[in-house]
Amino acid sequence: MQTGTKISALAHGLLLAWAFLGGVFRSDPLPVEVQDVTVISAEEFDRMTGHSEAPEVAVGPTEPTEPEPPEAAPEPEPQPDAAAEPERAPEPTPAPPAPETQPEPDPAPTPPDPETAALVPEPPAPQQRPSDRIAPEPVAPPPPEAQPDPVEREEVAPDAAAETPREAQEATAPEEAAEEIVTEAEETAVLAPTRSPRPAARPDRPAPTPTAEPPRAAETEDAVAAALAEAMSGAREETPTAPAAPSGPPLSAGEKEALRVAVSSCWNVGSLSSEALATTVVVAVSLTQDGKPQMETIRMVSHSGGGEGAAQQAFEAARRAIIRCGAKGYSMPADKYDRWRNIEMTFNPERMRIK
Amino acid sequence: MMRFLLSFLLGWAVLAHSAMAQDSGPLRIEITEGVIEPMPFAVPDFVPAGPAAAEVAGQIARVIAADLSGTGLFREIPADAHIGRVSDFAAPIRFADWKAINAQALVTGEVAASGNRITVRFRVWDVFSGAELGNGLQFAGSADGWRRMAHKVADAVYSRITGEGGYFDSRVVFVSESGPKNDRKKRLAIMDYDGANVQYLTDSASIVLAPRFSPTGDRVLYTSFESGFPRIYVLDVGRVQRRVLETQEGTMSFAPRFAPDGQTVVFSLEQGGNTDIYTMDIGSGQISRQTSSPSIETAPSYSPDGSRIVFESDRSGTQQLYVMPAAGGEAKRISFGQGRYGTPVWSPRGDLIAFTKQNKGRFHIGVMRTDGSEERLLTASFLDEGPTWAPNGRVIMFTRETKGARGQATLYTVDITGRNLRPVRTPGGASDPSWSPLQN
Repeated sequence: MQTGTKISALAHGLLLAWAFLGGVFRSDPLPVEVQDVTVISAEEFDRMTGHSEAPEVAVGPTEPTEPEPPEAAPEPEPQPDAAAEPERAPEPTPAPPAPETQPEPDPAPTPPDPETAALVPEPPAPQQRPSDRIAPEPVAPPPPEAQPDPVEREEVAPDAAAETPREAQEATAPEEAAEEIVTEAEETAVLAPTRSPRPAARPDRPAPTPTAEPPRAAETEDAVAAALAEAMSGAREETPTAPAAPSGPPLSAGEKEALRVAVSSCWNVGSLSSEALATTVVVAVSLTQDGKPQMETIRMVSHSGGGEGAAQQAFEAARRAIIRCGAKGYSMPADKYDRWRNIEMTFNPERMRIK
Repeated sequence: MMRFLLSFLLGWAVLAHSAMAQDSGPLRIEITEGVIEPMPFAVPDFVPAGPAAAEVAGQIARVIAADLSGTGLFREIPADAHIGRVSDFAAPIRFADWKAINAQALVTGEVAASGNRITVRFRVWDVFSGAELGNGLQFAGSADGWRRMAHKVADAVYSRITGEGGYFDSRVVFVSESGPKNDRKKRLAIMDYDGANVQYLTDSASIVLAPRFSPTGDRVLYTSFESGFPRIYVLDVGRVQRRVLETQEGTMSFAPRFAPDGQTVVFSLEQGGNTDIYTMDIGSGQISRQTSSPSIETAPSYSPDGSRIVFESDRSGTQQLYVMPAAGGEAKRISFGQGRYGTPVWSPRGDLIAFTKQNKGRFHIGVMRTDGSEERLLTASFLDEGPTWAPNGRVIMFTRETKGARGQATLYTVDITGRNLRPVRTPGGASDPSWSPLQN
């Protein structure tokens, strides 16, 4: 063989293999987030970044200043009957004034790009979760299985010395409480965006083609015609969709062979004509979950090797075989019903042919 | 190495692609082996439309059942096993009753009698699918012809289930034999295909041989020794009138057979010790020689389209089969097996040639393709000979003669698979059958 022929044959072979196996090696692309980039000028960039320039730094080292200790929270007043009543949370007190801080330079916000501004919504101010109780100390969230109880009790330890058994008491979680009460007036504006800008809109989709609306009953004088039109519209909407691909493990070779043998035992070709014995028919059938063929679903999908009359004879013999041997239900694995719900059987009488 | 790599890649690609294709869609299986067994069927007595039709209604059902059972393709479920009863032809069928006895086909019918006429209506059902096979049909005729109507119903049932044409409404002409072998009386007779309604066409004063139906079934060719020499006669079956086909004086003519056109007869003519094949136009009496060989050429038979003739010849030293163009030309040998081949007959379907074979002291009836391939012997006995085809080309009738001085000739039928061999009941001995086409 010539070298050129070899190279050509190999190239064609690879091409054919790629054509057949293109779907095997193709994998779905990894998800990539797409974000639009807007081109801005250098001046705009400077304006945007000017407020974040570092402040001037003193030349000499400065003494570290201790922060002023916050004002201690007032001690809760002792309750007159502490033993009778469980410990209650102190009454809410006004929050201590916040320490004075250096005023930050007022950032000169650059006017946002109109396109971006239109897309980025105003970030909502963070709001602390409201709570009607304030605890002196932050409390851990209650365990999920624990239920809040109006009265907080300490865990009860069994008293070995006690003679009379006491009813066990279940420990309860402290009631939910917040660290501080935040009023509406004290709500602080948070400048940091909490959401990223929404990506730019995709290219415009083609305008949907106007669909013909079913004639309204009000527009038709004939009520019967209107009802028919509605029924027709409903029928169009109820167009069956393509069945989903079967899921689950496929049938094993033994399970397929068992079905094949079962049908074969009822496929009687003794009464078929010579032409029908030269005709291969493909018959579709749907089975119920107990393996019985649904007779109304048995149909001839295709035939080859003979005329219409011979194909009809061959189909009738195949139909008899499917129905007869499936009268009590084919023995199929129930957990793989999706795999054998719909079956196409090819009845090929080549080996049974009488010359 | 490169070729191996290429083959491997291509093979793997095809396998992977087919595997992917099978992973979706319905489950696909292929059935390549089934069973060959008679189909169980039921023919309950037809419903009489009146008291006058009560007797014939049952008789018609019995003939239909016998016709179908005789093919070997069907097995009747006897009436005493029936669970369901059909008392109204128009009433819905209770298929569960027939499924319970495993009847796969059901024939229901009704017979009405009015004077000398009867009317038969029937339907054929596929029990397990609950569907009717074809539409209902009705025949009407004289009361005397109830057997013919039963045969016609059976033909329709057979055709609807098998897809083949039927052959029950047909007749057979044969040589009726009586007496011992050394003094056997022979005469022409005609009967229904199943041996009923035998009628004699000639007396037994002279020996008659090899009757052959015309393509339309209205005439019969046969050979008679009435003049001391074998001569060919044409017999009008309807009027029972005959005339001789004139040939040259001092010659023997025999083994006649009609051409498909019904106007030409092909036969053998012995002249001066040499036998060749000739054709004759019946109307003009013009004779044409088809073969010219010093050997014996005889038993010619036309193909259904009339384009070829198969015959036997010993030109190779043994008796073998040859095919030649009907217009004349070189003959081609088609039989090459051991033994001797004779009496070839072309199937009415045109696909097979039936023949008699003698080998190792036994006779066989066999079939082969028209090119001589796929030879298949269907029978074996002391003496089998003279095959003739049923109108549908699926069954062969022939003569079987038993051994010994008291041996008798009997007619048998066998289907082309060789599985269904059955005797034909005749009043006495019978030989040389010729099957008619279906009657109109």
